[in-house]
Amino acid sequence: MTTPTPKPDAVLGTDAPVVTPTEPIAALERKRDPERSNWRIFFEKPTTRVFIPVLVFFVLLSAFGPLFVGDPITAGFPKLLPPGSAEHVLGTDHLGRDFLARVINGGRVSLLVGFSVALLCMTIGLVVGGLAGYFGGIIDTVMVKVAEFFQVLPGIILALVIAALLGANVVFIVIILAITMWPSVARIVRAESMRVSQLGYVESAKAAGFRGLRIIASDVIPNVMPPVLVATTMTVGRAILIESGLSYLGIGDPSRPSWGALLNSAQSYMRDGWWLALFPGLCIVLVVLAVNMLGDALNDSFNPTVGRVK
Amino acid sequence: MKARLVYYGRLLLSSVILFIAVVTVLFFLLELAPGDSIQALVGDVPLSEDMRERLTIIYGLDRPLVERYLTYLGNVLTGNLGLSVGTNNEPVLDIIATRIPNTLALAIPSFLISTTGGIILGSIAARTRKRWLDGGISGLAVGLFSVPNFWLGMLLILLFSITLGWLPTQGKAPFGESGIDPRYAILPIITMATTELAYKTRIMRSSMIESLGQDFIDTARSKGLTSSQVLWKHALPNALLPMVTISGYSLGMILAGSALVERVFGWPGMGLLFIDSIDRQNNMVVLGIVIVLTVTIIVVNILTDIVYGLVDPRLRARFTPKKKEVVA
Repeated sequence: MTTPTPKPDAVLGTDAPVVTPTEPIAALERKRDPERSNWRIFFEKPTTRVFIPVLVFFVLLSAFGPLFVGDPITAGFPKLLPPGSAEHVLGTDHLGRDFLARVINGGRVSLLVGFSVALLCMTIGLVVGGLAGYFGGIIDTVMVKVAEFFQVLPGIILALVIAALLGANVVFIVIILAITMWPSVARIVRAESMRVSQLGYVESAKAAGFRGLRIIASDVIPNVMPPVLVATTMTVGRAILIESGLSYLGIGDPSRPSWGALLNSAQSYMRDGWWLALFPGLCIVLVVLAVNMLGDALNDSFNPTVGRVK
Repeated sequence: MKARLVYYGRLLLSSVILFIAVVTVLFFLLELAPGDSIQALVGDVPLSEDMRERLTIIYGLDRPLVERYLTYLGNVLTGNLGLSVGTNNEPVLDIIATRIPNTLALAIPSFLISTTGGIILGSIAARTRKRWLDGGISGLAVGLFSVPNFWLGMLLILLFSITLGWLPTQGKAPFGESGIDPRYAILPIITMATTELAYKTRIMRSSMIESLGQDFIDTARSKGLTSSQVLWKHALPNALLPMVTISGYSLGMILAGSALVERVFGWPGMGLLFIDSIDRQNNMVVLGIVIVLTVTIIVVNILTDIVYGLVDPRLRARFTPKKKEVVA
């Protein structure tokens, strides 16, 4: 996996080694100032340059778009108007509602769910995975078992059952998805913090008498961040996909239709309203693609060991 | 031999515990469901007093929580998933059993297509010197991986059924006919296979790259083998190992995804039954399906583990005592 450079421990005042001996030589030559150049490699990638603007576009559109488009809820006329007119750029749906307004407002829900779930998963993953990887023992066993539980029961199934039994709204969906998806991040944090815990600077922090929690917070977590960022980025995409599946199946907040919910109602009008099926799906694909490509690019930039064969 | 028994015994034990954990979570979810618990159990259908009493006795709802939990667990473990009250009080297990073949009719072909395709495309992408080819395959994989499979299904319907009129849109056979008409299965299978294919191609590409970087590949090359011999006979068997694991773990995702695909195409499999039962709040059927799914996934994971141990001689080390282990 990634080999981030340990930071000199300012508290201890010792000069920690700038690089660990385990780091591949090719990687050492490539990056003299590893932390900065990893980010530079990331930002110089062509995929990054294409997909960061895509993602930023959708984020801005979801944040501010709803202020500029009309009412997405109230029905009107004409019904099922094809896209292209000046008044309704993306046409209207079966109740005569402006489809652009619905797509933009739907994006707000989809992106909100995606990013909130990913942030929650990252937080839970860092805490649980960090504790499990550093302390091991019973915490570790319990974490591995719980992670196994969620691997057996796919998140979308559990989310469907919970939503069916207890009802669904956006906050609830975010919580359910976070509960079912955090193990994928926690697993990575666990593996990485097990590795980092063996390294010299953690040993010396231990020897200096710092408490475990303190060491996790100041030495372990900062050094496991690169792969965690990759996993979190990928989680955004997966959460958006799962949420869209859930709301396509009718599990979601009816007063706040996400892109998936728009596709749910589009299914009945496929013969007369192809645009109702096309645009929300296209938005999902673009956002998820952007997130996945950026995740891949992050991984490539921070993980020099994955290269091509000679 | 003894070590092997101990290993598989522990695997079996932890699987049983996992299964009980799933049933326990389901039970308490049902407990948490708001409102009248008997009504919640049968869903949103009118309930006669007689039926209510029968159910109260069957599920022992007048008894304390722990006792009820143990009864429920006992019922599930003996294969009693309850009755589906909405539909002529049929046993839930029977209803599910009639749908399983339909789901398998989609899941098995798409599993085969995606696995073969993933192995071939992944290997080509890993091996090729042509950057555009690797870039193309990898890009396609990420692209398809980012497409919600139900939306892909809708697009296929739009193109092949509505616009071109080549293939039917809904169901598994013409109205009134039983059995499965292959023409109806084409689009659902393609839809289901695509996401899987993308996923497997990605896994295969990276495991093949890793496999090609090993020392024994250099040995094989220096023996003078052609590059296709090296690829298919030496690198492939090693690169396949992660695919075995992935196939086991991805089964859950395939089955979950089948709910979406079956909904798009109105394909009467287990997934559609699951969704319909959620709509009708037929909770016994919903829980029954989750239990059947869980058992399937757990069994497949055990099988995967056994297969894994058989195909990878290195893993036999886990059966031998630590001191004998030779460092590779």
